[in-house]
Amino acid sequence: MSAKQPTTIPGARAAEPKARRIGVYVCHCGGNISDYVDVQAVADAVRHEPGVVVAKTMMFACSDAGQGEMEADIAANDLDGLVVASCSPKLHVVTFRGVAKRSGMNPYEYNQANIREQCSWTHTDDRAGATSKAIGLVRGVIGRTRLTEALEPLVVETTQKALIVGGGITGLRSAIGMADIGLGVFLVEREAELGGWVGRFGPIFPHERDGRELIAGLVVEIKKRPSIKVFTRAEVVTKTGTFGNYQVGIRVAADPPQTITAEVGSIVVATGFDSYQPAENEFGTGLDAVLTLPEFKDLVDHADGPLRHNGRPVRSLAYIYCVGSRQPDGNEYCSRFCCTATAHLSIRVAALDPRLRQYHLYRDIRTYGNFELLYTEARKSGAVYVKYPDDAPPVVSVEAGGGLAVAVRDLLSGDEELEIPVDLVVLVTGMVPRKNEEMVGLLKLPIGRDGFFNEIHPKLRPVETMVDGVLIAGACQGPKCSAESVASGLAAVTQSASVLKKGVAELDPLVATVDPDRCTWCGKCETACPYGAIEKLSLNGREVATISEAGCKGCGGCVPICPENAIDLRGYTDAQITAMIDGLLEEAIA
Amino acid sequence: MTARVDRNLYPELQRFGATDISACFNCGVCSAICPLSVDGASFPRRMSRYAQLGLRDKLLSSPELWSCYGCSECTDSCPTSADPASFMAAARRYAVASYDRTHLAYLLATSRVFAGVFVVALVGLLAAFMYSVHRPVDGSTLAFFEFIPSDFVHNLGVAAMVVMGVAALVGLFEMVRRVLRGPGVGTARAAIRKAAGAAVYAVGTESLAQARFRKDCADAVEVRPWYAQRWFIHFATMWGFLGLLGATMADYGLELLGVKATGTPVPIWYPVRLLGTLAGAALIYGTTVLIVRRLRKSDRSSAHSTTSDWTFLAMLWVAGVTGFALELGLYLPQAPAWGYPMFLVHVGVAIALVLLVPFGKFAHVLYRPVALFAIRLRG
Repeated sequence: MSAKQPTTIPGARAAEPKARRIGVYVCHCGGNISDYVDVQAVADAVRHEPGVVVAKTMMFACSDAGQGEMEADIAANDLDGLVVASCSPKLHVVTFRGVAKRSGMNPYEYNQANIREQCSWTHTDDRAGATSKAIGLVRGVIGRTRLTEALEPLVVETTQKALIVGGGITGLRSAIGMADIGLGVFLVEREAELGGWVGRFGPIFPHERDGRELIAGLVVEIKKRPSIKVFTRAEVVTKTGTFGNYQVGIRVAADPPQTITAEVGSIVVATGFDSYQPAENEFGTGLDAVLTLPEFKDLVDHADGPLRHNGRPVRSLAYIYCVGSRQPDGNEYCSRFCCTATAHLSIRVAALDPRLRQYHLYRDIRTYGNFELLYTEARKSGAVYVKYPDDAPPVVSVEAGGGLAVAVRDLLSGDEELEIPVDLVVLVTGMVPRKNEEMVGLLKLPIGRDGFFNEIHPKLRPVETMVDGVLIAGACQGPKCSAESVASGLAAVTQSASVLKKGVAELDPLVATVDPDRCTWCGKCETACPYGAIEKLSLNGREVATISEAGCKGCGGCVPICPENAIDLRGYTDAQITAMIDGLLEEAIA
Repeated sequence: MTARVDRNLYPELQRFGATDISACFNCGVCSAICPLSVDGASFPRRMSRYAQLGLRDKLLSSPELWSCYGCSECTDSCPTSADPASFMAAARRYAVASYDRTHLAYLLATSRVFAGVFVVALVGLLAAFMYSVHRPVDGSTLAFFEFIPSDFVHNLGVAAMVVMGVAALVGLFEMVRRVLRGPGVGTARAAIRKAAGAAVYAVGTESLAQARFRKDCADAVEVRPWYAQRWFIHFATMWGFLGLLGATMADYGLELLGVKATGTPVPIWYPVRLLGTLAGAALIYGTTVLIVRRLRKSDRSSAHSTTSDWTFLAMLWVAGVTGFALELGLYLPQAPAWGYPMFLVHVGVAIALVLLVPFGKFAHVLYRPVALFAIRLRG
């Protein structure tokens, strides 16, 4: 690993603010802000703050016109600090850093005050209060900006290879994508065979292609690409290094077992899902004629005529939806794929035997997007959909003659209590997260409330995790159908390529730094760091902490822990935080 | 009470012509748009739901099936093209077949070939039976009741009435025991007045005078003169038939009273003849318009025709037209050669029509008033 030291202006850590020329822009956001915050009053209130040269309001600061006006002001007034009071920095900090950069200003001299989420959206009943709070926030950010220093992004050289964990459809398609874009691939699969769930399936939606053939086709493509190295019956056992340069240990269960070390720039986790396994007696689980969705799919995939189960013809069957999904005392999430998968199966069953009566006992049907067409087709093929109340799930029982009966209340016939005699019950089981504790610990994968891996933002950064260079794709990050999984796998390819292909990557320089003179190495910061970026270092015969700039995420967790006050966070120095508090309090006291 | 789902109901209903109900997702637009659907007796959605689920007993216990006049507004508004109007008609055919214990109604409604062969054979058998007792007649004028003794024709007619009556009573019993056992009807015994009111409404206001057909099922899209509107066509057909039935009965009555022998020529103004002539004209007008509309599919409510529709209409039309031809022949100076064969056909069709009342589309005269009575009683 090689990271260039960030260039800082000498003496920038001095407590005394130098004379600054700061531009402040208060955004209307159309009316999103100005309907509840008096943006003109905010601009007027901070106009005479020390260092402020320009203070004005804008209808849309992020628009081309808004950005252009700022650029013109920076040039005309020789500004060296920029503050925009608008939305969350998550949305537009990159936009306005771009404005600064284009105008010749250091992008890290820009700071954002969030007066939309924190003022106008939260205090719609209190215009005066919202305005006063906005003034305090903007004044605080101006105080912080007076203390900013010019920073350069950390530049990291990257290894142009990727590790893909998981050889299901997501991992396979990602591997091909990586290879085709010119990246080397290590593909690690725990099982002996590639293919995962899809490799066991017959025809799947939305394209009706046979899952087994689909996987076989991908494996052929993989074999054509020498830059992909496949390891089956293999697991990731160690990981060291930082973003762009990870060293990963892969243990292959051969005789004797071998461990290979792979140098990679990014890691794509595509470990998929497990199918929910109903408990004994849950909707009749344990009875011979009660199947889970994957078991039933297998039955249909292997049928070449009217369905038979255990040698007996199936003349009617009931699907019970949301088994293991949307349960108040279990998995609360919706598994998304199951409604469509069941509609798809229902159509195939009807094609095998149009006389087989199919009853779908559901709570809500979520065949989103074009999958609505499959739902319609299933209904038109004769399937009956029965909506039961959330608080009265169906009951499966064995009848005197040995057949099954499902008791259910049908909301659409005026809450009629039905008893449906059936030959088969299919429990529409959802997806659950895979148990992968060792790998999770190793890769420091963030886990959400539902147990699946968490991306940074489901829409804006859908495959990135809080750990740079560690990406997630497919059903390991939440229930997805195969097409969506492949799409996210390809997103991970693009994301990897965008940081690895140049050979160098830029990282935010807003990281923690240690003052070695103050540090006494108590080790508390090392324990506090969730990213493993802090290590002990011997410096001139003393033991002090050192922070890897490529490993640090700038979370600030180590700063307050330090008993010696030896750690500071660039961009959020103690002096800057104090200045922000002062700015905020000045308004509160006034 | 738990209702047991019958997986065979749905395919059975399909044989009766309910081909599109699987498309129904129970949104209820049909019930909302229907001018006849009311709170407590709403249709077609609920009926369609019973059919989808296989709730046979619920469906056959629903008098709502007979509230429908088949205007097809629901079909026009259905977002999934589930054609609820055709479903209602199919469900009625299914109900007729279910209330019938002989399986005849089932075969007549579900097999086009059987229905055609059966009706022709029945008419032929009746004609042949009559011909077997014919007497020689001289050729100058038509003397139908010299040809076939009037007693024989009358007795055959009475026998047909009795057979039909028994079958009708069995069917009505099957229907009543289902339809009148719902909740709230138990108070009927205590409320005879209410029952009488309901009966007057069901038989008089609704069945004979067709109040709601006129008022609510007016042709909403197509504005037609009164004589071409659906309710009037049905009115003309129904009263034409009733008028002919009345004239025939009266003619028989006059013979029993010794006033005049059946079939003897009388002047045009003679009340019985006048009634018969006017009623016959009404019947021919009504059935002809109905047949033309079904052939042309000109009307959204006549777009789908089934075997039941055709056999019923054809028999009515043939009975009416042959009756007129016979009257014409009777007053011709020279007896036409077709006179006696047509007489056999006319009487054969008329008796077959009576015999088949409980087994086909005609059965609505039995079941509809009972259903309306039940609904009135409930509401």
